[in-house]
Amino acid sequence: MILLEQKHNDINIVELSGRFAMADCSDVRERLKSLIDEGQGKLVIDMAKVSFIDSSACAVLISAFKGMQLKSGRLVLVTSSAVQSLIELTRLHTIFEISPSQVTALSAFDER
Amino acid sequence: MIITNKQTINVVTLKITSAVNCVSPLGEAIKALCLYATGSECYALDVHRAVVEAVNNVILHAYSNQDGHDIIVEWNQEKDSLRIDITDYGLSMQTLPDPVLPEFDAESGRGWWIINSCLDEYYYKVVEYSQTNKFYKPNSDNGYSEEFMVKSHSNVLTLIKHF
Repeated sequence: MILLEQKHNDINIVELSGRFAMADCSDVRERLKSLIDEGQGKLVIDMAKVSFIDSSACAVLISAFKGMQLKSGRLVLVTSSAVQSLIELTRLHTIFEISPSQVTALSAFDER
Repeated sequence: MIITNKQTINVVTLKITSAVNCVSPLGEAIKALCLYATGSECYALDVHRAVVEAVNNVILHAYSNQDGHDIIVEWNQEKDSLRIDITDYGLSMQTLPDPVLPEFDAESGRGWWIINSCLDEYYYKVVEYSQTNKFYKPNSDNGYSEEFMVKSHSNVLTLIKHF
């Protein structure tokens, strides 16, 4: 899996691509944790190019969500169809804020 | 009396070591085989997901996340379904976990829910067996031999999805 980081104003953006599965979880979890700790409470995880996700990766997303909650921050996910379908299967779409693209995810921060 | 047997059309056996970085290539291979057998991306993704969750469970729980142990995945194409047998030689489950979703903020416990949602049937069996080895040594007094009883087991999770 490939992890790219960028920043748009005060919003941290993490772009993931390829498979997001148990073998990748420890690296991604660590990276997200430091971004949440050091960031401004605004994070986009863009998984538009993620082709497969498993329950271990869902756990990493939940951990990031809880980390942002503790910081009173906001996490927005961008999903591919493979990611979206697993998130819906596990009912996590009821707690995650999900946006159809990175552009709409970034603009969501301007609306509040 | 009519006796019907499941007709196995194709069998492919894959073997990995119990390392997390082996799960992705295994999963992709299973997905490709399912796509070959059915032509359905949706069907292949369901089986792919179930197999990945099942193998993750084997690595984490049967082998306590220790590398170097065998996991054998046998993919069987039958007349009306695909059957996948996942065999390990680690710690056996005493019962199959209930396929229920945990609290939304729990960071584990979704694997069996996914397996149950993506498949039509699954079952788990522990196969216990013993082995007797006889050793005959040449040039020994009075036809010396030794016998050892070796007790062992394997755990087999069978996943089934109908066409």
